[in-house]
Amino acid sequence: MDELRVAVSRDADIVTARQLGRELAAQVGFAGSDLTLIATAISEVARNIISYADNGEILLGLAHKDGLQGVSVIAQDDGPGIPDIDRAMQDGFSTGRSLGLGLPGARRLMDEFEIESELGKGTTVTMRKWCR
Amino acid sequence: MPVPILKQGEILIASVQAAMTDRDLLQLKDELADKIGRFRSRGVIIDVTALDVMDSFATRTLRGIAATARLRGAQAVVVGVQPDVAIAIVQLGLTLQGVATALDLEEGLELLRRSTMKVDHCDG
Amino acid sequence: MPKPQSALPFRVTEFAPSDIERRLEFVNLGPEDRGRIAAVKADVLDNLDEHIAAFFDHLAKFEEARGLTNRAELLEEAKRLKREHLVAMVGGDYGRDYIDQRFRLGQLYSRTALEVSIFMGAFHNLMASVGRRIMSHHSTDALAGFEHFTSLKKVAFFDIAIIVDAMMADREQTIRQQQDAIRELSTPTLQVRDQLLILPIIGLLDTQRAKQLTDSLLRAIRTHRARVVVMDITGVATVDSKVANHLIQTVEAAALMGASVIVTGVSAEVAQSLVTLGINLGRITTLGDLQGGLEEAERILGYTVTQTSEAA
Repeated sequence: MDELRVAVSRDADIVTARQLGRELAAQVGFAGSDLTLIATAISEVARNIISYADNGEILLGLAHKDGLQGVSVIAQDDGPGIPDIDRAMQDGFSTGRSLGLGLPGARRLMDEFEIESELGKGTTVTMRKWCR
Repeated sequence: MPVPILKQGEILIASVQAAMTDRDLLQLKDELADKIGRFRSRGVIIDVTALDVMDSFATRTLRGIAATARLRGAQAVVVGVQPDVAIAIVQLGLTLQGVATALDLEEGLELLRRSTMKVDHCDG
Repeated sequence: MPKPQSALPFRVTEFAPSDIERRLEFVNLGPEDRGRIAAVKADVLDNLDEHIAAFFDHLAKFEEARGLTNRAELLEEAKRLKREHLVAMVGGDYGRDYIDQRFRLGQLYSRTALEVSIFMGAFHNLMASVGRRIMSHHSTDALAGFEHFTSLKKVAFFDIAIIVDAMMADREQTIRQQQDAIRELSTPTLQVRDQLLILPIIGLLDTQRAKQLTDSLLRAIRTHRARVVVMDITGVATVDSKVANHLIQTVEAAALMGASVIVTGVSAEVAQSLVTLGINLGRITTLGDLQGGLEEAERILGYTVTQTSEAA
């Protein structure tokens, strides 16, 4: 299993995506606690797709860098896009208000986090975690 | 996916399954609200031992269940949060504030027993 | 004197055939070189003792090499291995076994604290000794002599790379082991009473240690069914915002598992610096000393002064 594409349009897909992500990460050799972190981050970005876009997908793959192995998670949607990325990445989240996107949280769980969004076109979140 | 809710005297026990979707969780919330009312339960234990991931939605929903329970005169206790999951929740920046927690079902029942005893003291 | 370990954990498995190929390509060893090396075999093999002596006598001049030169058994083993090396160097077969040999020697050097710089000096002396023999054999054609020597030097440099890599790998492993040992020593031992865990934390709390700590604590809460943890940070070297955040996270994670954490040993200075850093330990109960923390813990657990607690 090298790269996986998971369509995300119903809430059941969130569970699928994170379980597959966990399995893939297990292959790389991540410790149990890291597997949970990765699965949780996937859950958050997958949920974002459902909440804010009609359709999207999550690409799960292996990553390599400087002798390190890891996983990469790319969450893409064709939703309305995020008007103010900086604000979305701020931590209004810990108050638990439901309007918070899961992004700041997901970023904390992963090692690398990039986000691109275009209004009217969609959003792509790329995350990576390295196995040490 | 129907959620098993057991009744043990004045206490309801709901066991959350690993692959529960958002919809399932919301359904659980509604069912619990309904049953608390019907059976006049004093306590609700939500067992999340089987949950390998607790994300923002799950955490919010649990807080919602606890709030609903309180409104209907019951105390909710979340039990069975696994170490890895606890770490993930905290790193996500989430909290279960406002919700009582205990290690497992046994401790959860004990906690409810202790708190109802306290209540009795106040009355008496 | 303890016998030197010959069954060392090699990482020769890291050398895939393709790696070996590549390393030979790096020194540009070609068929012509192999031919020339075969031609100068005798210059090396006929004078093995001389060349070996060039290496080890050179080492003997330096104090820094005492780690090897003062230890008779190790020195003998090193000489034996070196001899095998020289033979193999002109043998023409530079595969897994060849690498094995050199790796083993590199590890031996590392264990005797021989530095790369001294090794290089001694190795050069050895090559100079070999070179003299080769050149004297080609006294009528210096260029040819030089080219033969150059071909042999390609293998020599191939060797140096392996030996130095082995020395570095060994040193890295030693450092890692030392770090692990230090970590082990400063890992707090949990004391357990009925439903109560006491966790004194000592030393530097970096991110990795903090992670380990949180992990162990949560698992201990589960194993011992603890409802209260008294975490004493008197011995924690510095409490900056990072450390404070680690502590907060640990406390919050423990709470999710039904355990409340009392932090003790927060000195006035630490409290002040936390305030200055704008960190709110508000939700966490902090008390002066361990004793106070224990009393609070027992209060939470519902023990009364007169109650004799059963042995845990």
